[in-house]
Amino acid sequence: MTLLNVGARALLANQVALQTAGNNISNVNTPGYSRQTVALQTVLGQYTGSGYIGKGVDVQTILRNQSELLTRQAAAAGSTQSADAVRADRLSQLQEVFSGGATGLGAAINDMMNAFSDVVNGPTDITARTVVLTRMDETAARMRTAADRINDIQATSTAQLQNSVIAVNSLLRQVASLNEQITSAQGSGQPPNDLLDKRDQAIREINQYVQTTQIAADDGSVGLFVASSQPLVLGSVAASVSIGDATQFPGSGQLKLFFNRPGAAPIELEESMLGGGSISGLLRFNNEDLTEGRNLLGRMTLAIGSTLNYQQALGLTLDGQPGKPLFTTPPDVAGFTDGAQKGVIKFNDSTKFSPTALAASDYEVRFSSPTPGGQVIRLTDGNITAFIDFADLASKQIDGLTFEFAANGAAGQRVLFKPFTNAAANIQALIYSPRDLAVANSINAAMGTGNGGTLQLSSLKSTGLNRDPSGNIVATGVVTPPPSPVLPATTGGGVTISFTAGPPSGYTISGTATRPLNVAPASVYAPGTTVVPYVPGQPIQIDGWSITLQGSPKDGDKVTIGNALDAQYGDIYKRNSGNASSMMDLRDAKMFDDSTLTDGYAGAIAQIGTRTQSAKFAVELSTTIAGNLERDRTAVSGVNLDEEAARLIQYQQSYQASAKMVQIAQNIFDSLLQTVGR
Amino acid sequence: MSNIINRLGTANMYDNALRNISARQSGLSNLQENLTSGKRVVRASDDPVSAAQAERALNRLSRIQTEQRALETQRNAIAQGESSLGDAVSLLQNFRELTVSAGSATLTPADRATIANQLQGLREQLQEVVNRKDTNGIPLLGALGSALAPFVGPLSTAPDYDFQGLPGQTASSGVTVPGTLDGDSAFMFDTKRDGVYNAGVSAIPSNRQLTTSAITPADRSLITGQNYTIVFSAVGPGATYGTSTATYTITNTTTNAVSAPVVVPDFPSDKPVTVSVSGIPGLAFNVTGTPGNGDTITLKPTPSLFSTLDSAINGLRSAGNSNAAIQAVGQALANIDIGLERVNNMRGYAGELLNRADRITGDQDKRSIQLEGDRSRAEDLDMIKGISDFQNQQIGYEAALKSYAQVQKLSLFNFIS
Repeated sequence: MTLLNVGARALLANQVALQTAGNNISNVNTPGYSRQTVALQTVLGQYTGSGYIGKGVDVQTILRNQSELLTRQAAAAGSTQSADAVRADRLSQLQEVFSGGATGLGAAINDMMNAFSDVVNGPTDITARTVVLTRMDETAARMRTAADRINDIQATSTAQLQNSVIAVNSLLRQVASLNEQITSAQGSGQPPNDLLDKRDQAIREINQYVQTTQIAADDGSVGLFVASSQPLVLGSVAASVSIGDATQFPGSGQLKLFFNRPGAAPIELEESMLGGGSISGLLRFNNEDLTEGRNLLGRMTLAIGSTLNYQQALGLTLDGQPGKPLFTTPPDVAGFTDGAQKGVIKFNDSTKFSPTALAASDYEVRFSSPTPGGQVIRLTDGNITAFIDFADLASKQIDGLTFEFAANGAAGQRVLFKPFTNAAANIQALIYSPRDLAVANSINAAMGTGNGGTLQLSSLKSTGLNRDPSGNIVATGVVTPPPSPVLPATTGGGVTISFTAGPPSGYTISGTATRPLNVAPASVYAPGTTVVPYVPGQPIQIDGWSITLQGSPKDGDKVTIGNALDAQYGDIYKRNSGNASSMMDLRDAKMFDDSTLTDGYAGAIAQIGTRTQSAKFAVELSTTIAGNLERDRTAVSGVNLDEEAARLIQYQQSYQASAKMVQIAQNIFDSLLQTVGR
Repeated sequence: MSNIINRLGTANMYDNALRNISARQSGLSNLQENLTSGKRVVRASDDPVSAAQAERALNRLSRIQTEQRALETQRNAIAQGESSLGDAVSLLQNFRELTVSAGSATLTPADRATIANQLQGLREQLQEVVNRKDTNGIPLLGALGSALAPFVGPLSTAPDYDFQGLPGQTASSGVTVPGTLDGDSAFMFDTKRDGVYNAGVSAIPSNRQLTTSAITPADRSLITGQNYTIVFSAVGPGATYGTSTATYTITNTTTNAVSAPVVVPDFPSDKPVTVSVSGIPGLAFNVTGTPGNGDTITLKPTPSLFSTLDSAINGLRSAGNSNAAIQAVGQALANIDIGLERVNNMRGYAGELLNRADRITGDQDKRSIQLEGDRSRAEDLDMIKGISDFQNQQIGYEAALKSYAQVQKLSLFNFIS
């Protein structure tokens, strides 16, 4: 009978083994499934006088093949890969906004600036003026479109963040309930393999969204921690996460991940602590990459719009009026803070705002503790400018911006400024009538008719540059026109530059008492008497205008600068295009980190391109690492069909052998019965 | 990706193989995109530095195109200005020839009047020529800015011709030439710089001759630009027989200052005398002929070439005898020559500007080629390399597909029957 029992047991064990192999084969493609093997053991032999007689085989347990370490590593690598992938994905969308070539925004800007060339050559050509205005409208529209596309990308990534949070929260609850089930199943003495697989898979999925740390507890449950410290799941209790504006800078659009525990205030999690996961990648994209894209675009818009507006205001329209703004630019932006003092940056005061000195960055003003005092931090590179109090802060330009507060902030208060965020979204071209383009200079120049030298007029422009009371040269936008003739005289007036052979040789200036900008404030200067050395090609700047002469003058040669609106000059200004050429010259104005207006867009392309490229490299690398670790993990816990086929054959043969054993037992029994029956 | 682990998860193996195959496929597709667009850098992230370089080169190219278009406009304007000046020169030369012919002693006042009418026609043409405009309506000779018609006159007030504009010449830059020429410098006379005066002689009886030479500046810094008259008096026998003497006074008719009488040294009565007049500040000229009591020479500054022409026309038209005609012709010829010199100077400058425009075009063409090369190097695909890469990738992709299919076929289950 023992043989029958042994055979029956072996049949049973092999059947279990076959079933397990079958189960493995069935679940070959099930995500998270860990290969199972049957652990066989011998049944304790029966003691007889001739020793222990084996009583066959028994199934000890169904083993779940997996490596805790590899599972964890693969999950972490997957987490990093997922963060890199989502960021690279979004960045390549952002990159399309900054595309180059003949159809890019840069080409639109350059076409706009180049269109001035035709106006310079034909100030009376109304078509050329119209082309300039149309190009301006087009450029403004392109900038708005670019801003809209960035907004769209942001909206998509924010929606993705919200969805991810929902998914994470549901997964967290799943893990908590699995923890509970596993803990109770643990009591039966056998491991609940499928529940464990399910939990590992859920954890792996959570890691796709946000990287977690897992710590196993004695009762079989696993604790999940985010940002290395906050318990997302403890035993059967799940907390939740949410996405919201940074608490310190409400309304700024800076997003943070919050950790919520029932009955406790939400805790804001630092991005740097989050590690991998698509949420972390999206947050980084939203808070860094998108901000940079927006800043690059906004700075370009603000700088080009402001400088063109500034120059336009210095010229004369066909009606002899100073030009009105060409573009809408924001008058100011307020800071974002949870404190009382919000602060403001004004863009409409040319003494407090230098559009050519901007850095494409957000800024944070941190009031020290104790107040007053603090520092302004440029967030792209962490460059720090210290200030003594709010009045000191308002008196200095930092990267062309002035941060103005009504009073000192509270101790430790932080204020975030995003000066360029909305500039591009709101830009509009304001002028549609070609008459209103300020093409003409408000001043004019005439050489003395008796000049014997070779003086030629290289350029004459209104710059609006003047000295402030402390002697610094600032762009006030004020041009003091040369004096008009005193009535009833109909000719004369103006500022006259008279050259003298000297010694000392140079020129004297009469008609204005203002010291030219090229004469240092400390040196002696008497209008009309002091001889200023003449350097050909170097601008002579007085009263907010600038004249550049070339050639060599003879003794007694004169140049007279007059007010273009004087009656004596009639309508000559209508055929002047001096201010249009000043606007065209802005092409070469150093505007974007010392690169010119023309090259500014190329810089932006390279910056976003480099970001995208490095994100792509990062995702390539992390994909490889994640792939390798996943392969290593599945090498342990994955199902190999060939192996299972071999096992099937192996156990089938054992099963057949066992069946044979039963048959033989029966044969033996039959033989016995026959013998007995005779 | 060799692996030291002997066991592989089947699902993972397929996943990996699929991932590699799709990576190959997307690589192939990228290469195809490169080949079809002809660009190595399709997106900035392919090569940010090259993308920026290409963008910059593209900007510069479009800038050069714009500058060249502007230069064409300027060149046209200057070419028109130059040809206008050429027209002006030939008109002035015609004028000069006619004036020379009007000096012939055989002509009657009626003949001279006819010639004066012809001259009048030429002068009017000249005025039309100098006020020409370019295609945009900007006066070609508008200097630093001018009224629509910069040259106006004759005016009833002095000066009789006026340049209504801002004298001076715009400088050229590396890529542009000025679009207008300094008309003031070409056609207007400056008191000190040019010192051009016109001398008229009162009516001299036909039995005498009295003319002046051209008035030349002796010291430009002293030239006042005021009007003068010289009146001869006390013409009578000299100290010795056969000689005569004369006295003249110079009156500044602008300030009404009268000089001390100047006595002309005795001269032979039977020959014309040449008197060098040096009493006028900065000016010198000779009076030749036989002076008579009350003979008056009037000196007026000439503000422009047009004034010279007008004086010549008026002088010829009102010349009652050949003496007056000779005087008018002599003055006109001298002053027209001064004017012609100035016009020719300006014409020469215009010609130089046209040369400069050609040189700029040449330079810009070279820069364009260079920039196009820069752009192409930065972003264009080397086709040979591109095709070779593409074929490599294609072969790799094929191999991947084949091996995948073959490996997939291999299974132990195939052998279990």
